[in-house]
Amino acid sequence: MHFQVIILILFSCGVLSASPHARKSGYWSLKPIVRPSVPTKFDEAGKAINPIDALIQQSLDRMNLAPSAEADRRTLIRRLHFDLLGLPPKPEVVEAFVTSKNPKAYDKLVDQLLASPHYGERFARHWLDIAHYADTHGFERDKLRPHAWPYRDYVISAFNEDKPYMEFLREQIAGDVLRPDDEDAVIATGFLAAGPWDFVGQVETRSGVLRRSARTLDLDDMVTQVFTSALGVTLNCARCHDHKLDPISQEEYYRITAVFAGVKRADRSVSDALKDKLVKERLQLLEAINRIAPGVDLADVVGGGDGLGSGAFKDGIDPRTGRIERKPMGFLTDIKPNRFSPSPNRFVDGVFIPQAGKDKPDIPISSTGLTIPSVRGADGKAWDVIRNGPVDRTHSTVLGGVDFTKEGNALLGLHANAGITFDLAELRRTVGRDTLRFTSQVGYFGTRGDNSFADARVYVDGREVVKFLKLKRSDSLQDMDIPLPASVRFLTLIATASGNGIGMDQVGFGNPKLKAPETELPEKQRRLLADLHKRKKTLDEKIGALGTGKVHAVVPETKMPEVRILERGNPEAPTGVPLAPGALSALQMLDPDLGSVASTEAERRLALAHWITHEDNPLVYRVMANRLWQWTFGNGIVETSSDFGRGGQKPTHPELLDWLAEELRTRNGSIKAITRLIVTSVTYRQVSHTAHGMAADADNRFLWRQTPRRLQAEEMRDAVLATSGKLNLKAGGPGYRDFKYTEAYAPIYRYITPDTPDLWRRSIYRFVVRTTPHEFLTTLDCPDPSNLTPKRLTTTTPLQALTLSNNPFMLKQVGYFAARLKQDAGAKAADQVDRAFRLALGRPPEPAESKVALQTVRDKGLFALCHALLNANEFAYVD
Amino acid sequence: MSIRSRREFLKTFGGGFGLMALDGLLAREPRPIAHHPAKAKSVIQIFCPGGISQVDTWDYKPELTRRNGMQFDPSGNLQFFASKPGNCQGSYWAFQRHGECGRPMSALFPRLATCVDDMAFVHSMHCKSALHGPAMFMMNSGFILPGFPSMGAWVTYGLGSETDNLPGYVVLPDLRGLPPGGVINWGAGFLPAKQQGTPMRTTAEKAPLADLFPPDEFKDYLRDDQLLTLLNRNHAADRPENSELEARIKAYEMAAKLQLSAPEATSIKGESPATRKLYQLEDGDVGPFGRQCLLARRLIERGVRFVQIFCGAENTVARKIRPNWDSHEDLPRDHGYWGRVLDGGAAALLKDLKGRGLLDETLVICTTEFGRQPAAQGKDGKGRDHNADAFTAWLAGGGIKGGISYGETDELGWKASVNPTYSYDFHATALHLLGIDHERLTFYHNGIERRLTDVHGHVISELLS
Repeated sequence: MHFQVIILILFSCGVLSASPHARKSGYWSLKPIVRPSVPTKFDEAGKAINPIDALIQQSLDRMNLAPSAEADRRTLIRRLHFDLLGLPPKPEVVEAFVTSKNPKAYDKLVDQLLASPHYGERFARHWLDIAHYADTHGFERDKLRPHAWPYRDYVISAFNEDKPYMEFLREQIAGDVLRPDDEDAVIATGFLAAGPWDFVGQVETRSGVLRRSARTLDLDDMVTQVFTSALGVTLNCARCHDHKLDPISQEEYYRITAVFAGVKRADRSVSDALKDKLVKERLQLLEAINRIAPGVDLADVVGGGDGLGSGAFKDGIDPRTGRIERKPMGFLTDIKPNRFSPSPNRFVDGVFIPQAGKDKPDIPISSTGLTIPSVRGADGKAWDVIRNGPVDRTHSTVLGGVDFTKEGNALLGLHANAGITFDLAELRRTVGRDTLRFTSQVGYFGTRGDNSFADARVYVDGREVVKFLKLKRSDSLQDMDIPLPASVRFLTLIATASGNGIGMDQVGFGNPKLKAPETELPEKQRRLLADLHKRKKTLDEKIGALGTGKVHAVVPETKMPEVRILERGNPEAPTGVPLAPGALSALQMLDPDLGSVASTEAERRLALAHWITHEDNPLVYRVMANRLWQWTFGNGIVETSSDFGRGGQKPTHPELLDWLAEELRTRNGSIKAITRLIVTSVTYRQVSHTAHGMAADADNRFLWRQTPRRLQAEEMRDAVLATSGKLNLKAGGPGYRDFKYTEAYAPIYRYITPDTPDLWRRSIYRFVVRTTPHEFLTTLDCPDPSNLTPKRLTTTTPLQALTLSNNPFMLKQVGYFAARLKQDAGAKAADQVDRAFRLALGRPPEPAESKVALQTVRDKGLFALCHALLNANEFAYVD
Repeated sequence: MSIRSRREFLKTFGGGFGLMALDGLLAREPRPIAHHPAKAKSVIQIFCPGGISQVDTWDYKPELTRRNGMQFDPSGNLQFFASKPGNCQGSYWAFQRHGECGRPMSALFPRLATCVDDMAFVHSMHCKSALHGPAMFMMNSGFILPGFPSMGAWVTYGLGSETDNLPGYVVLPDLRGLPPGGVINWGAGFLPAKQQGTPMRTTAEKAPLADLFPPDEFKDYLRDDQLLTLLNRNHAADRPENSELEARIKAYEMAAKLQLSAPEATSIKGESPATRKLYQLEDGDVGPFGRQCLLARRLIERGVRFVQIFCGAENTVARKIRPNWDSHEDLPRDHGYWGRVLDGGAAALLKDLKGRGLLDETLVICTTEFGRQPAAQGKDGKGRDHNADAFTAWLAGGGIKGGISYGETDELGWKASVNPTYSYDFHATALHLLGIDHERLTFYHNGIERRLTDVHGHVISELLS
């Protein structure tokens, strides 16, 4: 280590080439994890001590340093609350803990806090720092990213549910591939798209050079994020040349890039795959229902059959004439709209082409002279004939996961504008019953996109019984189950344009069946049917509950692009052969090949997700174990928590790190389990204000005491709100926006004073703007979300003092704090002062403090007392 | 600042400290570094966002004028940022030689023309992006991505501040709004947040710093600073080993000083009528920018290390003219407007600094993020598209040799052809004048000892006096 420091001074740029030999020989972080032998020690009660303490004690002994005493309960509960929840403890909770006689009170408290929903909110902040999450794009045109928040909520719940860490990582890299029908897994991939994105370079500019440049940097951001966060590898250093310190070649960089080159950032639906899956399940149920009561197929009837399968597939009836037609007809001419043409088919009464007009003419729909009122959108134009099967040039016969031309399914193709009326009198004879039902799943079989749609309607004896307006492909299938009593004769199906012309208005009635009522079935079949209907109803509810939810994540490129090495990182200088996807060869226990140039985008990401989370990968466990240590102790065992390479620091306690990593692995990646181990250690519970080890270890790297810390920006804001009583604990959903937004070429964000309950939510739910950072929080050291922030910096500035003492948000909260005191403690000043100290500092005032504080309240009012408390060092620091 | 970074900093720059000595320094400001004697004490940077056209301003290209109306790209293959090139379009303003040095400057800058003997031009600047956001980032931070410390942050990180009464790095944004890329342009990136630029509001009716005073509705609420002091003293007494607590107490004392010093620094009540006239404060167009330039002088007089003035905002609030130099449609109109603004303010600043003997110790930099095309753009052919391959920046004062130029573009002013210069050399030179070796001003972040100049940069010795 000393050697390295000297070199850093000699080689001023700080980037030193290690010799190839040294690179290959294997750096400590790349070697397999070895479970260290933990010295077996027992406490005074004869209980084996926490291995963390045993290992820490070992290194303290070597340094000749004594550990510190355990902090008192008042200190511990405040420390635990901020470390685990990011919030101050309530005074009542403090008192209960301080006075508890239960020797297990501490362990119980730890369990309670780890089970609190606010734990996830606190730990998510750490992870979102690493993911450089924000709610806008950044760069010149810093547009809103309104669908980013589901990813933020995913991270919060992942911590709260204690999702196994490897699963957490796999989902964030390839959740949409692993479990496409799991909304959470799809949302998890928001990780890949959490960083900044240059709209002008990616979309707006016409220059190919500039687009390629922006895309190269975009991919760099993605691979850097994945490798930095999961593995603590500074992969980005190998973009222009082989890594100068770590064994990462430039070729490897581009092979890793090839893993992600097939995706781009976009808002995407979270439930498409799930919806398809559920709809398919439901269709299977419907098929089962149909099998029990098969009925007569009206598509078969249109094809000239008897409804039991004798018709010809693709035969159809010309809506102009009623004649049978087989060949595709395309756009129809010589149309006489609103004229009924009887059909020679004995089951079909006739056909017609509806047209609406100024005088709203009635439309004749039967040979007996029945008419229906004018239909909006019908424009008297028509395409192809009414078919047993898809109409001419149907975009796809697959809808909702079912191909209606296969496996016993049937499709009645009905392009706008056309109508067909069936003669139920004839059909009743085939079914053998007078009372019937008509069931079908109608849908739009035209092209994708929200600009193409059509209307479908069903009439019984000229009475409209059901209609579906503006049916689009994304609406999937619509069920109908229409009773047809013995008294009715005509069933009419109509497809019309929906006001946007007849282009692609390819309506289809899937499995159009006439059936006997289920009440007439034998008992056993009826019971079976009832069960099927119940299951279908459950599915219907599930499908209905699916939102139109979106998340800002990744979608596949239309074509997998070729990836080559870019000479000196220049996108205009690709060189060599197209690269197969790969990972790092430096981790010799893993196979770096992730596929071939022919691998699909999905296969590539899936392979990388498995490679990273492989149980033999030592880095992934070490890096997270170290982060968990940093999140509770303030410093990692490796201080450079996102760099486990030669450019970073070495572990102060390598054995402890490996022990924690091994625990993380054997405890199935349980973050809560490791965190519990850490915070229940004697090491964690030490006092922070002692100076006996300053001379030997001023930085407290060997943990001879606990390190005091200042509240982070978000903790400070949340603590102020909690103290004033105004904190709104509403969890999840779109972020609160404490700014005024003005739409413009480069959108404008103007911060306002947050003074309404919806803006008093926890800071984790803030709508984070990239180019216009939040003044209040930034002043308090909230980092720039353009950066991957493995660890926050703490500065102390006069501007912070100005902000905390003069910012309107602070002053309003000071006012609310004062008002709360009157409400909580009544009119007596002494009670108010006592309550104020307990709320702000978690302790009663000392007699001397009480005296001065009372004087303050008498002379200057409660506001002055509250102002001083919220600005006090003790409020801002955790012991 | 994390303890490790601070220690790294000291290791890199202080050299030779034992651990004990280090510990004593941990809580204080980093020692100002001096790799070599400095020529300049402070910097005033004028940033002109949008992209100044080099061929209409400082880079004289008679050949372009000769080819007026001729095809620029007979091949038809070129594709600029937003358009395909139109015909060659010579400067809209005539060039004339000025000063003892006889350097040409266009008629857009009659006032600056009288300062030409103090100015050094770099005609061969180029940039790695032709997009405003990334290009702004590069000229300010050396990287086209957001998240890197700006030059002002690096400078104050290295040199600290000369004053406790004002921030070390002050930004005076255009009154119309933020520049492209927003406040990231003066961000601290991964450096400690205290190094970020502090924007000052310079309209007379507002306090110059955010939260300098409580808002009016709280003016009458009493506070008790004595109580705060008592609480903090008691708290610190039990924790003598935590020097951050003392630093925070001191920060509150400094904040109180700022309440006096910031309004004093930004009030121009005491300025003479001649000075007001020099900066054209009464002129509706030039006045606001002139005021920023005057404030910049007042700030560096009071020990501020780095002042950044923006001459233009982002492409958001376009009214009749463009809100910055980004003249895609009507360059005579937009450069005509902004040229007059820059000419008035910058010339006044140079003359004022010189008259007060401050120019020698103040490095004045004027730059933009990229240049513009020598070919015309738009249906009327009155605009010019972005050009990352060539632009001009100039420096003055603070150890700069006046009346010279460095680097050249080709005969049409299209691409830097002699001594092409990225931000790296430009920044290296500026740091050099401040006594800093750009390769030794580093900060560890995510695996790399980061620098303002990435892994590049050479001091341009030709520019040094």
